[in-house]
Amino acid sequence: MIVCVAIVGHQNNPLYIQSFTEGDDALKLHHVVHCSLDVVDERVNNPKKSGPMLNETYLGLLYPTENYKVYGYLTNTKVKFILVTTDLDVKDADVRNFFRKFHAAYVDAVSNPFHVPGKKITSKTFAERISTIVKAFGLSSAG
Amino acid sequence: MGREVSESCVESLLIEMVSSYCNRFYADKQELAARRIEAIGYQVGHQLSERYTMERPRFSDHLEAIKFICKDFWSEIFKKQIDNLKTNHRGTFVLQDNHFRWLSRMSIESSPEMVVSSPDGEDKASQAMSMHLYFPCGIIRGALSNLGIPCAVSADISSLPACSFVIRIKA
Repeated sequence: MIVCVAIVGHQNNPLYIQSFTEGDDALKLHHVVHCSLDVVDERVNNPKKSGPMLNETYLGLLYPTENYKVYGYLTNTKVKFILVTTDLDVKDADVRNFFRKFHAAYVDAVSNPFHVPGKKITSKTFAERISTIVKAFGLSSAG
Repeated sequence: MGREVSESCVESLLIEMVSSYCNRFYADKQELAARRIEAIGYQVGHQLSERYTMERPRFSDHLEAIKFICKDFWSEIFKKQIDNLKTNHRGTFVLQDNHFRWLSRMSIESSPEMVVSSPDGEDKASQAMSMHLYFPCGIIRGALSNLGIPCAVSADISSLPACSFVIRIKA
């Protein structure tokens, strides 16, 4: 199950952060996201010497904690997408697919002429679309 | 799924935008009008670059980003690529389009009455034409700065309908 997703701008400013848990652990999840930003920086500045995968937007598993797995994605425009999940065996293809949909939703949201670049995304349509994508992810990994 | 836009509508909209800004909103302040039009282009370029770079790996250097502008970005907007790219390898790039779509219907020949009324009719005509180039300049600048390359873009109409854009990357 996905417990938290986040979009972070190129100056590490939060653009969108949403947790999907019942409990009161939003702060803890935000902390997990915050920690992952350093890992993203590290990945980007010291790329592994794996030829074709170089500069790919999908960064893969950033780090596992006891309860969570954190995945990252970095766009050409230096916007970071972070995914925190409690599933321990997640298929890489599923995560890629999730980030692709997530990115498409983000692009549509920022293409709104009333959106100010660099400000938080407050669109309700966007929030609904994200929660649909998040729910669909749970189903595809279970089945 | 890509959505399509009528080409003639876009062209009419652009011409109308330029004329509104130049003749109505900022009739006596051409420089301000130019800045406003450029800013609109900037926002458009900013948003388009986000969309068009979605499915590709990140660029490793400036040249790759400029090449992206010349090839994929230009084909998405104008259905053709930039015809010639020159660079001095010190941060200046010249993008030449031999048949720039947004200028292809324009004529720089000044009308007879314009020449009679003012000796600098030719100047006015080319000035009016250059107002139409602030928008595409803004698009390029917006796209590049969203890709992390701050730059200044200017346009040059040497012989119609060819048009070249000069990009100077700020160090």
